[in-house]
Amino acid sequence: MLDEFDLKKKFKYFDFSVFFSMILLIGIGIAAIYSATYSSGSAAHLNYQRQILWAGLGLIVFAVIVFTPMRFFLAFAYVFYGVAIASLLLVLVIGQKGSGAQRWLGLGFLHFQPSEWAKLATIFVIARLFTDCRDWLRQKYIIALVFAVVLLPMLLIFKQPDLGTALVFAPFIPSLLFWGGVSPMVLFSIFVPFLTMIASFNFYTFFALMIIIVMVLILSKRELWYLLVNILLNIAVGIVTPFLWHSLQEYQQKRVLTFLGLVTDPKGASYQLIQSKVAIGSGGLWGKGFLQGTQTQLRFLPEQHTDFIFSVIAEEAGFIGGMIVIVLFAIIILRGIKIAASARSQFSSLVAIGMITLLLYHVFVNIGMVMGIMPVTGLPLPLVSYGGSSMLVSMAAVAFLINISKRRYEY
Amino acid sequence: MRFSSNNRKVLETFYKNFYYLVSLLLFSILILRLFQLQIIHGKRYFVQSEKNRIRAITLKPLRGRIFDRNGEMLVGNQPAYSVYATPYELQSWQGIYTHLANILKIPEDELKTIVKKHQQGKFNPVKLKRQVNFETLSRINEERLDLPGVGFWIESKRFYPSSARVAHVLGYLGEVSPDELEKFKGEGYRYGDVIGKQGVERQYEKLLRGQFGYEFVEVDALGREVRKVEEQKPIAPKPGMDLYLTIDVDIQTLAESLLGSRKGSLVLLNVRNGEVLCLVSKPDFDPSVFAGIITEKQWDYFQNHPNHPLYNRAIQSTYPPGSTYKLVLAIAALESGVITPEWSISCSGRFRFGTRNFKCWKSRGHGVVNLYQAIEQSCNVYFYQLSLKTGLSRWADFGRKLGFGRKTGIDIGMESEGVVPDEAYLDSHYGKGQWTEGMLLNLAVGQGDLLVTPLQMAQLAMILANYGKYFRPHVVKRIYEPVTRKEIPIKVDSSQVQGVSHRVYEIVRQGMWLVVNGASGTGRAAALQDIAVAGKTGTAQNPHGDDHAWFIGFAPFDFPRVAIVVMVENGGSGGAVAAPIARQILQEYFRKYPVKLPEKMAISLPVE
Repeated sequence: MLDEFDLKKKFKYFDFSVFFSMILLIGIGIAAIYSATYSSGSAAHLNYQRQILWAGLGLIVFAVIVFTPMRFFLAFAYVFYGVAIASLLLVLVIGQKGSGAQRWLGLGFLHFQPSEWAKLATIFVIARLFTDCRDWLRQKYIIALVFAVVLLPMLLIFKQPDLGTALVFAPFIPSLLFWGGVSPMVLFSIFVPFLTMIASFNFYTFFALMIIIVMVLILSKRELWYLLVNILLNIAVGIVTPFLWHSLQEYQQKRVLTFLGLVTDPKGASYQLIQSKVAIGSGGLWGKGFLQGTQTQLRFLPEQHTDFIFSVIAEEAGFIGGMIVIVLFAIIILRGIKIAASARSQFSSLVAIGMITLLLYHVFVNIGMVMGIMPVTGLPLPLVSYGGSSMLVSMAAVAFLINISKRRYEY
Repeated sequence: MRFSSNNRKVLETFYKNFYYLVSLLLFSILILRLFQLQIIHGKRYFVQSEKNRIRAITLKPLRGRIFDRNGEMLVGNQPAYSVYATPYELQSWQGIYTHLANILKIPEDELKTIVKKHQQGKFNPVKLKRQVNFETLSRINEERLDLPGVGFWIESKRFYPSSARVAHVLGYLGEVSPDELEKFKGEGYRYGDVIGKQGVERQYEKLLRGQFGYEFVEVDALGREVRKVEEQKPIAPKPGMDLYLTIDVDIQTLAESLLGSRKGSLVLLNVRNGEVLCLVSKPDFDPSVFAGIITEKQWDYFQNHPNHPLYNRAIQSTYPPGSTYKLVLAIAALESGVITPEWSISCSGRFRFGTRNFKCWKSRGHGVVNLYQAIEQSCNVYFYQLSLKTGLSRWADFGRKLGFGRKTGIDIGMESEGVVPDEAYLDSHYGKGQWTEGMLLNLAVGQGDLLVTPLQMAQLAMILANYGKYFRPHVVKRIYEPVTRKEIPIKVDSSQVQGVSHRVYEIVRQGMWLVVNGASGTGRAAALQDIAVAGKTGTAQNPHGDDHAWFIGFAPFDFPRVAIVVMVENGGSGGAVAAPIARQILQEYFRKYPVKLPEKMAISLPVE
């Protein structure tokens, strides 16, 4: 047992590189929010002060999580999940209207988004399911159960309607199933047809994907019938999908694309994107300097202190500033994978990988979005974007990584 | 952890490396894209960011026009030019303030204060001067290269093509005040915008103004417009609605000229729906003065002139009504049953009450008079005695029932309520027991603490004409929506006076008929040749000067269409001054809107 009063020992395995990356990102975020709302001339220019408050509150949450044993979260995983689902239902019934959709629950002076906490609760419940179904023979059940626990909150959030946030849950399924030890070939059979659906719209990509599928299947050295079933399935999907697609009316196609978040208010979104790209691009190597970004100070983006905060940083701090943000996130993610790999229990390991999946998805989709390589879905940049719920959840995610890293040699 | 087999380490490393690989791949995509945007295309985007500054420009809607009841234009719009500048450019360019101060003829310090006080962010243009002349405009245009961020907006200003002023009904526009900016926060008003300050312009501000629109333009680094942004569709402004007033310009013009340089007011009401056919308050003002830039001196003149030309005397001023108010006492007495119309007294020219002598206006006295004759000849002594029989509380009660002491609800705003004194009022004003019944005698003839507006008197005439039914007086007849080309009629509220019987109205109306048509009527000057007019004169004493002349009436007697009030401050006797004016107005009305034959033959019935 670790001596509870020996501070030196206590911090021996505290991952400082992850901790300081987090602190730096929060600091950069506050500075960027200050700049983004500097010339607004309204009450919004005090947003950075509120963000500091949120960060302060986040540090308390952070400390509580870091010093709570993981077995506590293991024990209460189902309870957390139950509460999260209940509050999502509550939002649907009595939720307040927040920017057109019901996402917020009023809780006295602060509002909070149950969908944020549901992300963490879902990770816990998946990790707990693996612990409860350790029997290797129950692998089939674990796949079904994981799908179920992920799709339930997704559906509720989609109903709000908030497709962007609902999609955040999707990567948990392949990522946690894979890390949890479900046979890669089973996952391959489940997820590759979805890839085929997308690839089937272009013959060359479809053809290339088919070659890769066949090669992977041959290399897997599985039975011949398994091989044939997989190949035939993918070919069938590849033929049927474009056929079905073109049999749809144009407005139906549009509806599907909108549903998938591929078309979101094309006019408004493209206008934002052009401006965002000009902001980032014009930053150059060194940027225009703090508070000097003409695009930022012009306030051409309605969400520049929330979803489009990265374009503010890239305009005013340039490629160097943008790189620093990306590298800081990379440190957290890569260290996190190491932490997950060396965790002392399967539960901790899966929680760590879940947090990494959550953070990486947000970072990639958000930064990709402002640079015009991902659709505009309205996801915040963790630790950096303005907003209390997002700040608390992303700090909690990092706190779990540090908690798990700290306890990796505890037995 | 995951596996207890001996190849655990190998597998663990495989999983870890797979996740490393995926993460690094994703981060590389981000970094490559960032590199592409900032380093490869950085120059291009930088140039674009210098060039492209997109601004939302407010598009002002055209303010609604105002017409008279027959479609003659009273208020229209005319182009006017305002100069604006962008604070960002003013800060970044040396000497631009001095240059602008020189062109606009505004001291540099004042310019700086205007910008500082009214800027909303660095990039929103601030209006510096309204309604600049063409010389200034052409200088700004010529020297625009030295004046980055400076430009002009084409706005509109009011113009008044009509021969009638209609000043107090129309009201006027003025620059929105800081208080109003606060009050109408979120409705899009900006410093330098105009807003209705009085009359219909104020009351119907929301309808007249329309809705602001927006247009998105790209401006270059100097703040000059480069092009319209096609990606962002402009939001067109919605023009304001046109108002059609109930006012008839011809009658209004005549009324304005009849009052001429006198102080006073005149209101002509349609008793069948409460429409105001003309409303004059004198002295008035030329509304077109307010369409331009009002100088401090002009404003001072309007504000501090002893005759208060901005004051709408017809609805804002309160006066003692004099003998016209005897009608209220007559109704109160009849309805309470204290007398019958045949009850008579003998007038000797004065009435002794306590130690005081209360005079009749006719010092020789009226002799024996009943109620009809008392109204016809406006005998004070009769009403002195009647008031003692009726009592203060009944008198005040019926005054309130007949619409006094409260606003009529006319759609011009800033209306006064007037005062109907009762026991409680006199107690609080003079102290309990400090006032005598002599005060009641004064009130009986419309003097003392009783205060009414001319419009309330016109309303009384309407009530008498309609046997108790009355409509809310209003000046807007219909609203025209220029976009949908739909007309929205105004809803007219009607009410019925409670507790006054048809018989009582008949008696009082009979008295009013005698006032104009009787052999010794005080209002004979109001009589028309072929249409029976009923009315009541009033000559109200006032401590500040000559008597106020009053006349109220309605016509035609049997099937009334209009009610009128004429009030001339310090004009003298109501019968000699006010009644002739009323006659001319009524004559003009019946010339323009003649009584049709079937109507002439209709028997006297309450008007629906």
